Amino acid sequence: MAGQLEFQLKSPARRIALSVSQLVRLVRETLEVNLDQCWVVGEVSNARLAPSNHLYFTLKDTRSSINVVMFNSAVRRMRFRVDDGMQVVIRGRVNLYEARGTLQFYAEEIEPRGLGALQLGYEQLKQRLGKEGLFDASRKQRLPMLSHRIGIVTALGGAALRDMLRVLLDRYPNLHVIIRPALVQGPGAAPEIAGALDDLNADGRAGVIILGRGGGSLEDLWAFNEELVARAIFRSAIPVISAVGHEIDYSIADFVADVRAPTPTAAAQLAVPIKAELRRRLFDMQSAVAASVRNRTSAHRRRLTDLGSRLRDPRSVLRQLRQRLDTAAEELNSTITSRVRENRHNLREFAAHLKIPSTIAVEQRLRVDRLAVRLAQAMSTRANPYRITLERSAARLSEANLRAPVMQAHAHLDRLFDRLESASRSVLDKQRLLLAADSRRLDTVSPLRVLERGYAVVINTRDGRAVNDAARVEVGDEVDIRLSRGRLHARTIARETQ
Amino acid sequence: MADPKPRKFEDELADLESIVSQIDSGELSLEESILAFERGVALVRSLNQKLDEVERRIEVLIRDSRGDLKRSPYQGDLGRDAEAENKDEDESF
Repeated sequence: MAGQLEFQLKSPARRIALSVSQLVRLVRETLEVNLDQCWVVGEVSNARLAPSNHLYFTLKDTRSSINVVMFNSAVRRMRFRVDDGMQVVIRGRVNLYEARGTLQFYAEEIEPRGLGALQLGYEQLKQRLGKEGLFDASRKQRLPMLSHRIGIVTALGGAALRDMLRVLLDRYPNLHVIIRPALVQGPGAAPEIAGALDDLNADGRAGVIILGRGGGSLEDLWAFNEELVARAIFRSAIPVISAVGHEIDYSIADFVADVRAPTPTAAAQLAVPIKAELRRRLFDMQSAVAASVRNRTSAHRRRLTDLGSRLRDPRSVLRQLRQRLDTAAEELNSTITSRVRENRHNLREFAAHLKIPSTIAVEQRLRVDRLAVRLAQAMSTRANPYRITLERSAARLSEANLRAPVMQAHAHLDRLFDRLESASRSVLDKQRLLLAADSRRLDTVSPLRVLERGYAVVINTRDGRAVNDAARVEVGDEVDIRLSRGRLHARTIARETQ
Repeated sequence: MADPKPRKFEDELADLESIVSQIDSGELSLEESILAFERGVALVRSLNQKLDEVERRIEVLIRDSRGDLKRSPYQGDLGRDAEAENKDEDESF
């Protein structure tokens, strides 16, 4: 066929018309023969990814341009995104798109110029996801302080898993670990990791997920730089700790994860607290609370004891006051009594010797008695209000339990006591004055006063009665003559009855 | 199920810490501090219970042929210290 066409083309004299498809096929075959595989350098423009996942763009230099297509099978192997303006080196072959008869370059592999493909892809994805907000601190979830169920996404049988289990169970012996195994390197790792994260979320029991693997080359760790994994981490409702090998390089997974740990071991340490420490902390807090309350109550108890002992003071003051009142009253009584007794004695003496009309004596006695009664009444009426006040104060005081009222009560009691003392003193003084005045009046009517003025009382020794009628004394009778000072014994010599 | 939503460990711990500092500050009356003390002791009890709530278990979650998630015990290496203890646990599956 090709030979036939060639022959025909080389014989322009013979007008053999080709069909369009014949022509296009001829061109295509010619190209296939002469331009099999080649590398081409140029700038990308008008790049677009079709829903079929085929990549289309135009590759150009200053003078020419050519359409480029990369089929989805090759696109899947791409480690970076082809963007407009990017300088790329493309491996592939040029051919004809037969439907349109246009020239196309079929790309098998694209490499960025300058940066390596992986590096570029990493930078691109990081920038894009960052702009989308996948790395925002505000979107990060806090790790629960205590999670009994830890999900792990890693390769079964890897050193990373063994390290994590050891650390987790050392820190928290009764831990429930849910391992969701996944390939962590090589083709297919990214979808497996993403699926594993989704599965643990579907399972829903884990409180924290550790996504990890041990160290490796950038190529080995590549799955952790893929968008699929980044998005799975981002949508996980369970907080994710990333722990991807290298301590220095950050994977995209590290940026999206809620917490980034430098190694799987460190991730395990972040995931669970040390149980023994928690236990100790609880114990310490319990002891602190108990000690604090104990201190508090014992401080209250000390204060109560203190106040209680202060409360006894006013009561004893009251008792003392009462005692003093009693003593004062007794003194008063005995003073009065002795004065009254003294006066009574004198009166009786005169009544006996002088036969003073009994009315005077009776009157005096009654007056003294009344005085004594009044005095006693006055004493108790004056004293009672103070007693009541004191008792009320004491009652109030014993109810109250604070320092200030006790102090106030002390002062109040002191004042009350002063008042009581001066009041009782003035009552006593007044009564003493009254008594003195009464005694003076008693004196003025006393026969002794009359005697003092030079009069004498004559007492008949026969009947011992005062003589106020000469007719009652016979001549020769003996009489006693009572003078102001001393007595005379005399015999009647004569009498005049007139 | 009828239970009120169980409170998180850290929430209870935060409550306990605030009770401790309240009592320590001496701002509470004696009655209040005794009430707070009782609450604190209850929290300590609940927190201690929470620490022991779960039994050690290590399981592997995989998808079976029908694509359903299936749990099975972990048979692998546990690292030096944990290994012996896990052997007993495995039998409970």
